[in-house]
Amino acid sequence: MRAAVFDRVGRVRVDELPDPTVEEPGDAVIRVTRSAICGSDLHFLHGKAPISSGEPMGHEAVGVVEATGPDVRRFGRGDRVVVAFDIVCGRCWFCTRGQTQLCEDFRNLGAGVFGGGLPGAQAERLRVPVADVNLLGIPDDVGDEAALFVGDVLSTGWYAASIARIAQGDTVAILGMGPVGYCAVQAALAMESAPGRVLALDREPARLALAAGAGAVPIDVTTSHPVTAVAEASGGRGADVVIEAVGSPDAFETASDVVRRGGTVVIVGMYAGETVQMQLGVWWARAIDLRFSGVCPVHTVWEAAMEALRAERVDPLPLISHRLPLADVARGYELFDRREATKVILLP
Amino acid sequence: MAFATPSWFEALVDLINGSAAYREAAATWEGDIAFLIEAEPDRGVPLDVWGVLDLWHGECRGGGVADEDRGRRAAYLLRAPYSRWRQVVTGELDPIKAMMQGKLKVQGDLPTIVRQVRAANELVELTLLIPTEFADGA
Repeated sequence: MRAAVFDRVGRVRVDELPDPTVEEPGDAVIRVTRSAICGSDLHFLHGKAPISSGEPMGHEAVGVVEATGPDVRRFGRGDRVVVAFDIVCGRCWFCTRGQTQLCEDFRNLGAGVFGGGLPGAQAERLRVPVADVNLLGIPDDVGDEAALFVGDVLSTGWYAASIARIAQGDTVAILGMGPVGYCAVQAALAMESAPGRVLALDREPARLALAAGAGAVPIDVTTSHPVTAVAEASGGRGADVVIEAVGSPDAFETASDVVRRGGTVVIVGMYAGETVQMQLGVWWARAIDLRFSGVCPVHTVWEAAMEALRAERVDPLPLISHRLPLADVARGYELFDRREATKVILLP
Repeated sequence: MAFATPSWFEALVDLINGSAAYREAAATWEGDIAFLIEAEPDRGVPLDVWGVLDLWHGECRGGGVADEDRGRRAAYLLRAPYSRWRQVVTGELDPIKAMMQGKLKVQGDLPTIVRQVRAANELVELTLLIPTEFADGA
């Protein structure tokens, strides 16, 4: 089969690899019908996370089950499924409490040694361990491309909004209108305790336009200071809830600047070795509830996200800017890396 | 006089050095303070503006618009968007409360600076004496 593999820093290529097979009793092998490039794939592309030349890339995929091991109970040949981007055991103390992102055997698809050496999803076929836990069936009335988002960014945005404890009428500010931020906008607006307004902050006009189309109030931080803009939209107090979906020290600081006293900050943006200086006394005095989402425990939220998708309360499809054949994956990475693409779908 | 321009800082330095009340209130203060007025293009402030006041035992030994390097070398850095500084220098926002609430961000020893309540208030009183024009309207 063909698969996207890491070539060298800044470059991926397509290689011919052996077809995957059932290796463990809980495995399923799926034929990938759609995969995608995620923002976190860029960490590998840029060499920030360890991966070796020739290792498969990607962790977002939907497909059709082709083979299963003897322990797989929930799925059979021909089932349409979406794959969890994080692969977990489903049995450990953390998994049984819904904190699957803290699984004792946590692994990532397409993340090299960092992810436990699992194969990548940007391929024609994919072996998925513990399939009963790490696959979700796709309802007949949900298309493959929409379902693809449930395996990662839509569920991540949903999780961020759900742990933010948004109350009726709240002002919610979401920093960064990348795919996760955009999905967080939709999730926040879809919550039962609907916020009064959702403010979408970014510096890219195209991303702000997408957020506005989803019902958010766009704030262009290249022309408006985020502190002033959010204060003016919230009676001078600041946002009740801030969701930081960027993953940079500047964005972290902005999140703390635009939240009101007693408000909640959810950090869903990904961090690695960054550091920040914080006046702890000010955070303490302001009684800010700071919540790091960590990696999304997709298994605990993806059914809710899929149901919201099926009920048309969320729609991630406007994010898709490019559909490319797998053979053009290198171009897809280039477009995404240059921020010329909001979401690249790969067609095997 | 336009806010945070060289002439505005010059006027402030003169007022500080002419104020007996400030001299008394800030008698124990030691250390230069940098002010970062963060850009707000939609308010007529397209770029960040840095200022420094070299304050020492109730006197201002110099000050004015500075470059970023000079500002970052100061003992204390206070920073906020332009609109918030406007609230401070027009007396609308108490600077000490603003520091405690994170509305004015402080780099440097926070307890030391917030103990200087009287000195901070005197400084604000002095800025009120400057006929200040603001980029987004007087």
